[in-house]
Amino acid sequence: MSKLRGWLLRLGEPFQRDRRERELAAEMESNLALHIEENLRAGMSVTAARRKALMKLGGIEQTKENYRVQRGLPFLETLFQDLRFAFRMLFKNPGFTAVAVLIMALGMGANTAMFSVVNAVLLKPLPFADPDRIVTLGSLWKGRPGHGNVSAPDFHDWHDQNTAFEGMAYYADDDIAVTAGPVAEYAHVAAVTPEFFHVFRIEPVVGRGFAVDETNEGSSGAVIISSSYSASHFGGNSNALGHAVRLGGRTLDIVGVMPPGFHFPGKTDIWFPANTIYPETESRSGHNYLVVARLKSDVTLEQARAQMTTIATRLEEKFPDSNKGKNVAVTRMRDEMVSNFRLTLYVMLAAVGLVLLIACANLANMLLAKAVARTREIAIRAAVGATRSRIVRQLITESIVMALLAGVVGVLLAIWGARALVALAPADVPRLTETGIDGHVLAFAFGVSVAASLLFGLAPALQVLRIDLNSSLKQGTARAAGGSIADRMRGALVVGEIALSLMLLAGAGLFIKSFLALENVALGFRPEHVLVVETSVPASDLESARRATRFYKDLLPRLRALPGVLDAGATMAPPGNVHSNGGYWIDHLPQEFSVNGPQAVFSVVAPGTLATLGIPLKLGRDFNDSDTYDAPFAAVINDALAKSAFASQDPRGHFIYCGLDSMNPMKIVGVVGNIRQYGPAQEPSPEIYMAYEQHPFPATHLSMVIRTALEPTLLSEAVRRKANEGSVDVPVKFTTMEASLAENVAAPRFRTLLLGIFAGLAVCLAMAGVYGVMSYVVGQRSNEIGLRMALGARPGDALRLVLGQALTLAGTGIVIGLVGAFVVTRLLGSMLFGVKATDPAIYAGVVALLGIVALVASYIPARRAARVDPIVALRYE
Amino acid sequence: MGERADVWQGTLALMVLKTLQALGPLHGYGIARRIEQTSGDLLAVNYGTLYPALLKLEQEGYISSEWGTSDNNRKAKYYKLTRAGRKQLDKEAREWEQTTEILARFLAPGKESA
Repeated sequence: MSKLRGWLLRLGEPFQRDRRERELAAEMESNLALHIEENLRAGMSVTAARRKALMKLGGIEQTKENYRVQRGLPFLETLFQDLRFAFRMLFKNPGFTAVAVLIMALGMGANTAMFSVVNAVLLKPLPFADPDRIVTLGSLWKGRPGHGNVSAPDFHDWHDQNTAFEGMAYYADDDIAVTAGPVAEYAHVAAVTPEFFHVFRIEPVVGRGFAVDETNEGSSGAVIISSSYSASHFGGNSNALGHAVRLGGRTLDIVGVMPPGFHFPGKTDIWFPANTIYPETESRSGHNYLVVARLKSDVTLEQARAQMTTIATRLEEKFPDSNKGKNVAVTRMRDEMVSNFRLTLYVMLAAVGLVLLIACANLANMLLAKAVARTREIAIRAAVGATRSRIVRQLITESIVMALLAGVVGVLLAIWGARALVALAPADVPRLTETGIDGHVLAFAFGVSVAASLLFGLAPALQVLRIDLNSSLKQGTARAAGGSIADRMRGALVVGEIALSLMLLAGAGLFIKSFLALENVALGFRPEHVLVVETSVPASDLESARRATRFYKDLLPRLRALPGVLDAGATMAPPGNVHSNGGYWIDHLPQEFSVNGPQAVFSVVAPGTLATLGIPLKLGRDFNDSDTYDAPFAAVINDALAKSAFASQDPRGHFIYCGLDSMNPMKIVGVVGNIRQYGPAQEPSPEIYMAYEQHPFPATHLSMVIRTALEPTLLSEAVRRKANEGSVDVPVKFTTMEASLAENVAAPRFRTLLLGIFAGLAVCLAMAGVYGVMSYVVGQRSNEIGLRMALGARPGDALRLVLGQALTLAGTGIVIGLVGAFVVTRLLGSMLFGVKATDPAIYAGVVALLGIVALVASYIPARRAARVDPIVALRYE
Repeated sequence: MGERADVWQGTLALMVLKTLQALGPLHGYGIARRIEQTSGDLLAVNYGTLYPALLKLEQEGYISSEWGTSDNNRKAKYYKLTRAGRKQLDKEAREWEQTTEILARFLAPGKESA
């Protein structure tokens, strides 16, 4: 307590220094007088008394210094002194300070913004109770990367046999038609098993969870809704209870409202018990569910994995038909959620870090030049007694002050930058919207500021250690001071800048080339001028599903009749959005099903859809109105399937089976060209197109594709009216084929754009760096150049001299950068499409670009050198 | 004066507190004299350590100071013990006694075997 009090008092000391000094002097004086008096009383002579007392008093200055040390905190006082001085120096030269702070602020702002995204997406704990204990479970297929959905029987065995989890649930989510008002709308819903909410340790804020009888198969059902859905549709939580929503052809009571912010999975607004509205798929080969679980508090992830692997291995042995080669993957939920974006984000963070390094190099150069100019000031301070370490400390304090100023400006830039990043990033990055400036981000910004200040403050500080007092004081100007060490340091910094820029440029070049390749890849269909209208017709059994199909059958001709519509169709899976895939069999079903047989994408289409999309018919016919539910089933396959299943034979007339909804044989009636179903980055897969009337269940969720003569979105309202005339229970959602394809390449676009921006910044900074150093060199060498001119050199020689020096620096940087780029771009391999990480054209282009940049940046100083007037230059000396 | 020992920092504080307890408010010179006298002139108080020590005690709240006049009408800064200082003196004195007692046991001849 007293110790603390002492420290606090000492902290306050700097503010009453003068009073304290006076008081100590008075106290010492009075004590001296007391001593003298006593000596006099003891009978000494006046002189002796005084001498004796002074001797006893000892070194006055030393005592004062001891006293000062105890009085305040000398470390702090020096710091205050240095800070005051630093601010004075910075404001004495506001132009320099502004430029320096701005350069650093750009670098730090970009870093902080990028980090705030990384923080939100990768680092922050999930917004659930004890989130590290939440895991996801998936089917782990031997020989296939990643892991997949889970079948209901597998889930039940996992659930019943494990002892590692305190709760395990499956869910299936989708955008479906929900009616809470006059017309149906799309809402994100999830069917969940009873332990689902327990896994997240979350309970309704209003109402209750599902009762046991509501979770039983075939129960009357109930729903729980999110707080935001409750607010937007019922005007608040308490109002929502007692209302009902319609979905899946049923009316369901709202029994509870979840706390605000809970929307798992995805953006779910409505939860209902699994196996009530939609029957659970009972096949072990029907992988339709996602599984989450909560680890018991005394069980580690590894233990859970081991136990689950044992269980899954037992299932493999027990059910070889469906489970051979299928095990289980247990992953922490956070790792699972962000696995797709981790690499992209870290690469971007590294790239933006390089930009900051370049900014630091630039600033180091500026400060180095300034330190040389300040040589005389520093020499004087050294001469009047400042130690070198004291001077270095002063210079580093200046750097830190500058960096912190830049950090503050940088954080302000980052607030804006983070918003821009969120807008640019692919929409499916999880938790992106949580991006913001929080304590972690501020700590990061602060850390980066201090680290950067040490980086760029070190060069000038080291320079100080080299100053030769004598010669610096003798030489009137800063001219010859600094010497070759500083020159070499400056050169090294420019070389470093160019090397780092080259690495960034190479990465950006590769991404741009890769992105162009993606944009130009032949998709196999024509995406221009196509309006995509997602619709969903509620249906719960075969009869209602067949009625639903009639909705499209009536609507399509009316859409085709709309002015501006060239053609219209409907498909379960518009290109780029595969909904379903699985095994297929030709001509007869096997005795034993193997899960490792050939796979195809499943699609259900209305007649005319293939033509609407511009997918060319290669053989046979498209579907037509005679392919009804009662007619023999027909199928159209794509080229890829024809090639792999029939080689060069004609596939028409053969039968094909697949497990989309029924195992009815389908007669192959046509072959169409391949399309890239998974977006431009992936090769076309085999695909089976089926007639929508023959597959009524899958045909209740179709996307209508409408080819138009005009801008497709102009038709939205007319289409919505026609759809609502058909049924108010069918929600519609609009997009365009091109926009939906753009989503497919959102991640590469994000990477390319960002790295392009970073590389652009880097090149600008490097250019400024080269310009600064060459200007400085020309200034330093103007005597020498003048002398050369006086001896007969021509302006062209001076020009060449300067350009030559610049190109030597740039060349060195380019060589080092090339080596670095070869190493670093290897990491990008998995993110590149249609271009190798060692693409020679990119490297050649980047080298040429940087060479030109170096030339341009040094041309102005070189011109100045060429114009040196020998008389002026020599007289100046 | 060479044969006289300097006072260590830690013990100086204790001596100052004890002196102020014994004599009441006193100026720096008086404190120094008293310590030297009490030690039978075996100790020499160095002002270079005394003033900072007084300041430290004051910062920690064990003593307080104010300007007053001496017997022969001279202005001087008087220090006096605070309540916290009295407690601290008790505590430190106890600790010191304990320390010396322990050391004494170590140094006392022929008692190790006991």
